[in-house]
Amino acid sequence: MQLSLEGSKTINLPRERVFDLLTDTNFIASSLPDAEEVNVVDKETIDARLKVRIALVSASMKVRIKLGERERPNFGTLYVEGSGSGSNVKIASRFELLNGSTTTMKWSANVEITGVMAGLGSTILKSFADKKVTEIFDSITKAMEKTG
Amino acid sequence: MNMSSEESPILILQALRKEGYLNLLLFGPYEIVMEEIFEESVKEVASTVGLKSEEISILEDADRAAEELLASEFERYVTRKYNPEIKEVLVKYNLLGAPIAREYGGRGARQIVESLMLERLGQVGLGVITLVDVHQCLGSLAVQEWGSEEQKKKYLPKAASGEILFAYGLTEPEAGSDPASLKTTYRKEGDGYRIKGSKYLISNGSVATHMIVFARSSDSGQISSFIVNTSEKGFSVEIRLEEKVGLFTSDTSMISLEDVFVPKEDMLHVEGKGMAVAYSALLNGRIGIGSGCLGVMEDCLKQAKERARNRVQHGKEIGKHQLIQRHIATIASNLEACRWLVYRAAMKKEEYDRNRSDVRLRAQADRLSAIAKYMASTLAFDSADRAMQVFGGFGYSILSPVAKHFLDTRVARIYEGTDEIMQLKIASLELGKDFEAYR
Repeated sequence: MQLSLEGSKTINLPRERVFDLLTDTNFIASSLPDAEEVNVVDKETIDARLKVRIALVSASMKVRIKLGERERPNFGTLYVEGSGSGSNVKIASRFELLNGSTTTMKWSANVEITGVMAGLGSTILKSFADKKVTEIFDSITKAMEKTG
Repeated sequence: MNMSSEESPILILQALRKEGYLNLLLFGPYEIVMEEIFEESVKEVASTVGLKSEEISILEDADRAAEELLASEFERYVTRKYNPEIKEVLVKYNLLGAPIAREYGGRGARQIVESLMLERLGQVGLGVITLVDVHQCLGSLAVQEWGSEEQKKKYLPKAASGEILFAYGLTEPEAGSDPASLKTTYRKEGDGYRIKGSKYLISNGSVATHMIVFARSSDSGQISSFIVNTSEKGFSVEIRLEEKVGLFTSDTSMISLEDVFVPKEDMLHVEGKGMAVAYSALLNGRIGIGSGCLGVMEDCLKQAKERARNRVQHGKEIGKHQLIQRHIATIASNLEACRWLVYRAAMKKEEYDRNRSDVRLRAQADRLSAIAKYMASTLAFDSADRAMQVFGGFGYSILSPVAKHFLDTRVARIYEGTDEIMQLKIASLELGKDFEAYR
């Protein structure tokens, strides 16, 4: 099951600052929503256990988050791979930072889901994923803006 | 728009363009980006009968509303709860009053546009369709078609804005397929009437602000219709029916009317002509349900195709197994067969709307709406059953995207005229009045 997601977000911080935070594993680890366990392995890797819930379907997933190719302050890539409760997920995401009076972050993600959760179908999964991703970016943006 | 078939195609196209109709195949490039299967329906209708830009705009809003409703509808469904977001989202996209005339605050959607709108919302599920169909087809349109100018001005703008939500109180514990045997009574008192009785299996029953109620005169025995304010003293919700097989996100209630007062200006149409109101509302409603069932079939097809392409068994995608292909082919055929049946009923209804005194057109619209509702609800149920089969074991879980359709569409074969009543109606319209089996 493949999903393609994309969106954009405006952040009231300079582009370099946004880039530094989005590529800082300690910052990412501290702003992960619904995390049951988080372990920063090194400057590019995080291991975590996340609780994912879609309606009545709840999965506890062990995931590895890895930073990929990046170019300060223009773009970055992030890979997530995990499994749990009979479902597997692989995410390849990319963000681009655009200059202006504020920073505009454009992001896209290709998500591959297999197992039990895939049975929900892409229509429902995409609808929940859009909602969830918005929540995640809202929470990350708030956390970034707090750092000043 | 009147055009004779002898006019040249160029003149016809120019006339279409002048009147704001879009013929997408010829005129492009009005870019439509909607849910894939629905987009095909819109383009097909646009290229065949023409759609104005404001009509396309209604359909784009329906597409956005359907998209936005998906998550809440699914969440509410699996937890078996009424979904209050249906009304909120439809108000947000200005769709609640879609078929209400512009002069009364609506968007003036003609029947084919209303059908397309319901088709898209039907993809989300029949819970959404039930609320909309009852409010619009059985409620708002009954007022628009039969109400006095004062009633239209009083109720329709509020029905369009969502301040008013309609229910339709025809069915009773002992009057289902034979509504003319209803036992609820009314008597004259002062400047109005008092209504006494109970109404059963009423969609939107406990959430509606107003209900079209049908009652029998305690003096003459004739049936009349009324617009009843549900906050009036004596109106109460006796039971919220939650032990249903499906349709969890839609409200179904039993209503008690204990000498509920209705001012005389809220009698709908003339005294003694209530069944004319009831049957014409059902004509609208049946096209609405048929349209919603198209959406159900579209979602079943989409989900079954996705499952068939992704699920691997015996070393290959299950879609490569021929018996799974048979299900896909049948669902696609069900959908295609019903699509034009529903559109044809809608277009016949439009023709009748333009010539309301033509009884022949009324009978044709009645016949086609019954056929469309009968076929679309039956084949939507069959499509949901087949889609569930494609999903295998997970299809039987309430969490699968198709189980909801399987549970919901069963009621489409019962409400607003059972399969059996639809067949009797169709047969009697074919054979003539002398053959009406239910007389």
